[in-house]
Amino acid sequence: MADASHDMTKTKKSYAAVGIALLVFTVVTVTIGLAPIFDFGPPGPDGMDFVLGLAVATVKASLVALIFMHLNHEKGLIYKILLFTVLFALGLMILTMFADIDPILEQFETLQTTRGWLTEKP
Amino acid sequence: MEIPYEVTPRRDTGLYNAKLGVWLFLASEVMLFGGLFSAYVFLRLGVQEGVDNPWPWGVSVHKDFVWLGAINTIVLIASSVGVVFAWVALKERNWRRYQIYMYSVVACAVIFMCIKSVEYYSKLTQHHGIKLVDNSVMEGKILDKTDRIRFSGEKLTFSLQGAVPAAIRDFDGENFPKFKVTEGPEELVGAEISSMSQFKSWFSDGRRLVTNQLTEERRRFRGEMAAGTENPKPVSVVSSVTLTAAEPFGVTGNPRKIMAHSESAINYRDGVKVEGKLVSDEVQFEVHEVDLQLVLPTKQRESVVWSVINDEPAKKQFFDAQHKKYEELLEYYKDHGGVIPESQLRGRFLNVQYVHVAAEGHEGGHGKEDKHADVHTSETNPTAGGGEHEGAHGPSRILSVPRDQIKFMGNHGPRYGTYYAIYFTMTALHGLHVVGGALVLLFFVVFGKKLYLKNPEHLANRVEVGGLFWHFVDLIWIFLFPIMYLL
Repeated sequence: MADASHDMTKTKKSYAAVGIALLVFTVVTVTIGLAPIFDFGPPGPDGMDFVLGLAVATVKASLVALIFMHLNHEKGLIYKILLFTVLFALGLMILTMFADIDPILEQFETLQTTRGWLTEKP
Repeated sequence: MEIPYEVTPRRDTGLYNAKLGVWLFLASEVMLFGGLFSAYVFLRLGVQEGVDNPWPWGVSVHKDFVWLGAINTIVLIASSVGVVFAWVALKERNWRRYQIYMYSVVACAVIFMCIKSVEYYSKLTQHHGIKLVDNSVMEGKILDKTDRIRFSGEKLTFSLQGAVPAAIRDFDGENFPKFKVTEGPEELVGAEISSMSQFKSWFSDGRRLVTNQLTEERRRFRGEMAAGTENPKPVSVVSSVTLTAAEPFGVTGNPRKIMAHSESAINYRDGVKVEGKLVSDEVQFEVHEVDLQLVLPTKQRESVVWSVINDEPAKKQFFDAQHKKYEELLEYYKDHGGVIPESQLRGRFLNVQYVHVAAEGHEGGHGKEDKHADVHTSETNPTAGGGEHEGAHGPSRILSVPRDQIKFMGNHGPRYGTYYAIYFTMTALHGLHVVGGALVLLFFVVFGKKLYLKNPEHLANRVEVGGLFWHFVDLIWIFLFPIMYLL
């Protein structure tokens, strides 16, 4: 029992540390969105902000998943389930790319140019 | 009956059953939110520049509420930490501490939902936009109910086959106008109506009458067909009625319920027509921001928006701010190839500017205050909204925007644009998850004592599993916050 309570103290410490890290990362996320020091691209909101913001969010998410959700020491079955989840989630993202090869939209774009629907070129 | 493997792990999976169950559930949840995130990416990347409504920048959508969003993130993180500590407390068999942690987690959920509702309320009632005929956009606030169509009605025409006309709810004043039925089925002509309840009972009588007549007519028609009559008279019933008012009555029509209106008539979406005279058709608007992203740079100075605003200093303020930012861009691109990309020239950085139209006698409110520039050039609070400027620079003049200049107007609700649609869908679904998760956790603490005394390990497992869901909800928010509020 003494061993277990010693374990718990360690766990508590790591939970507290992760909690603080998450708060810090939240501040970082807000700064990326608002402050000029994180503005690596051209002035104004740009793709660089987006990449950085998502990177920080991913780090936060992995902290939550690994420590709070105990994924750093979980049974194999759960990893197997998650593997499929990740694959399908990626599939969901990739599905939207079919829009780029949409034959209906292509037709529409051809019409736009040939019939001059887009008279003012942006 | 004892359910096996609630406390001890199963040998083949190495897990207690609830844990396996919740992970399967979370996998399905990932699919649910994954689809929506995918929709977000699709909508955002699918915006055609210069054609579609541009994707707004989260910070300028939320303004003051970026901080509320950040606070909400912190609240959720705190609650996640609370859940794991509650679990630890159970593992250490400390009921009192478990209770404290669990109740604070639920309190966090309540705070989260309160902040969320403040935000929703503000979007739905305090922020509006008007898109004018040349696609220039004014952001600001439509004064209460001034988007209504004010009309002086004389005649009301509708069908007795449908529902009670929506128009009667738009009548002004306490008293229902005095009506006389002037056209319609013979049996009804001449009837007089002078109150809402009378109207309703008259309407249901009329509807019954028309339905009966229709049945009668159909029977006649079928009979004639069966008898072999050549060219039987088609089924025809008068179902349309016209009520004429003794004296003109006021109508304040909600544009959402109205399909079209002119100087002499309003057509409601449910088919009701009100004839009379248009009284006022102007929308009272307080402008905070002008958005010319959909107007070609060469046509911006002649944009319709300036004739609506009709204020030289405000126009100058816009183009001064734009010029300042243009120089900034020029400076940046001098080191990066020298050419400013077209997307930047057409983008929101240059073409969305804060504009203050000072009320008469409050000149001097114009100048360098420009919150968008502040974001990237100075250390001042970048999310300062219109309200703060108002305090600092006097009240705004209220514009009267003629309706024929308006292409679209509305609050910042889901129909304002694809950004708002996906924002409300995702945050509301996430909100429902917060409520659901909080209820489950509340159950574990309010009704958990009995189970705790019987088998504390079982309760600990329940809390762990509930916690897993809670962390998942937190995880979704970790992504939602930056993509919706900041980037």
